[in-house]
Amino acid sequence: MKRYILKRLFLLVPTLIGITLITYMIVRFTPGDYTSLRLDMQMGLKTTAASKEILDQERRLYGLDKPWYVGYMDWLGKFCTLDFGTSRKDGRPVSERIGDALPITLALNLITMLIVYVISIPLGIAASVKKDSLFDRVSSLALFILYSLPTFWIALLLLMFLSSGEYLNLFPLGGITSDTMTGAGFFPLAGDAAWHLVLPVITLTYGSFAFLSRYTRANMLEVINQQYITTARSKGLSEPRVIMVHAFRNSLIPLITLMATLLPGLLGGSVIVESIFSIPGMGMLAFEAILARDIPVIMAIEAISALLTLGGILIADLSYALVDPRIRLETKI
Amino acid sequence: MKKGFWQGAWKRLKKNRFAMAGLAVVCVLLFIAAAAPLIANSRPYIYIAEERVYFPLFFDYPELRERDLRSAEFSGFKIFPPVPYSYSEYDLDSIVLPPGPKHYLGTDEQGRDLAARMIHGTRISILVGFIAVLIYVSIGIVVGSLAGYYGGAVDLVVSRLIEIMMCFPTFFLILTILALWGPSLASVMVVIGITSWPGIARIVRGEFLRLKEGDYVMASRALGARDSWIIFRHILPNSLAPVLVSATFGIASTILTESSLSFLGFGVQPPTPSWGDILNQFRDFIDFAWWLTLIPGFAIFITITAYNLLGEGLQDALDPKSAGRK
Repeated sequence: MKRYILKRLFLLVPTLIGITLITYMIVRFTPGDYTSLRLDMQMGLKTTAASKEILDQERRLYGLDKPWYVGYMDWLGKFCTLDFGTSRKDGRPVSERIGDALPITLALNLITMLIVYVISIPLGIAASVKKDSLFDRVSSLALFILYSLPTFWIALLLLMFLSSGEYLNLFPLGGITSDTMTGAGFFPLAGDAAWHLVLPVITLTYGSFAFLSRYTRANMLEVINQQYITTARSKGLSEPRVIMVHAFRNSLIPLITLMATLLPGLLGGSVIVESIFSIPGMGMLAFEAILARDIPVIMAIEAISALLTLGGILIADLSYALVDPRIRLETKI
Repeated sequence: MKKGFWQGAWKRLKKNRFAMAGLAVVCVLLFIAAAAPLIANSRPYIYIAEERVYFPLFFDYPELRERDLRSAEFSGFKIFPPVPYSYSEYDLDSIVLPPGPKHYLGTDEQGRDLAARMIHGTRISILVGFIAVLIYVSIGIVVGSLAGYYGGAVDLVVSRLIEIMMCFPTFFLILTILALWGPSLASVMVVIGITSWPGIARIVRGEFLRLKEGDYVMASRALGARDSWIIFRHILPNSLAPVLVSATFGIASTILTESSLSFLGFGVQPPTPSWGDILNQFRDFIDFAWWLTLIPGFAIFITITAYNLLGEGLQDALDPKSAGRK
């Protein structure tokens, strides 16, 4: 096990270099001098003394005046000390802006994941137990349709019909809290936030049910055909016990490792959902940065979310190896 | 034997009603995309004036150029396409009209006919779907087969590359590159193409790892076959089935990506019509102009569903074992 972990950690080094290098290269080799381009375009400024200062500062940050490998090393050095530069939009440190946005997105994604797992795992188990029944077919078709509905379209429709005032006005148009709620107690505030989160959470969850429940179902079917299930049945155990204890627990492993791979999707998907519902999380920060060509913020988000995902994959790999000895014996990655 | 495999798969696919429905929708979409200028065009197929016959849609006539043949001024016999509007012409007298007899799907804020824009938007979706998937399937096959066949150092490098690409939040990465490098139809296809290959590469690599141990590969090698012969003749054809399935799902997700990008304003640029862009432009009218939201979104939904159903069907048809297990 120790050898496996060491090997796995060692292999992280090239991946880390690759992630940061690609992030740097995208900005470095943008056609034209993006720094001046951006200032002229967005602020309509001629190169005044103040904007020149910002430019020079950024040129230094990305080492644009040096060869790319020196620039990369410098940037990487600052990145490692969590110095991501300052946002062009409001001059605040990027780390501070990310610090504000990250908890909101994480909370939103945790709620989403929780709901997705709570709904789709039982659905998948039920479908696998009653394989090919009417329930199995109807639920799989319904989930399939949900899966194919474009997120941004559903978000628009929900806004249009449930919170525009033209049809029904049940939910707020966006944001995560009402302006009127400042200074209210914990419970009213939490209730208000929950009320704001209903539509975004619906939009984020509905498409993931299909994938996870079908995954559960396939895994369960694989396990149910194993001999130890037959043994458990022939021992005279009750069917619920066979399904929940013997079968489900053995199909759990891939489900846990799946969590790590869902992470980038949830982060990427939130660009659309967060900007439609004006939720000030990572997705909206990312999109605003893109609209304003706010390079420091873009680079930081790009690299940080890639690193988070890498962390997720690593945890998944290690926990897989922990529960399944075959993997660490093979040490094939 | 190879033939038998594909024939058997087709036979199994034909029995799957959902997959066939998906295939039918895909064929209709391909037809609409191919024939878009013939279905929605402001110029008639045929126009018979007093002394001569014109085919304005097919040929260019100097005397008819820049003239609106729909007006009463041209009184002869005319046959127009089903949607007698082009996608870019605007009519400020009829803005934001609901669907009606004149404009089947209504008009937008500039009085452009929505039906014409939807029909021409089909081209963009299909084009981006196919070309981008073609790009990344090609990259994935090359990279994946090299890694799977040669193993060792090549595999180590490729596996790291795959891991690196899988870590990036793909949609945001695409958005960033397009924002910095300038969005256009071509760049959308290329950027989706070069960022989405790791999935295919992983599949191909896995297939190669599995197949290269096969007896027929050993036999071929013993007979002195070159690597390229073994790769292209023996292993690759046998690893194409899962690639085909994945590519079909890939077209669905690429169409979704394209429309999401256009919806955010970083995809295909106006006036080129794209379903996502139509949805984007009318976010302001969302209160009352329901047709500008419902119709393009529904088109995207139907297209994605069709490709996904087809992909599902292919998966079951090409891998009878997994279908049996279900």
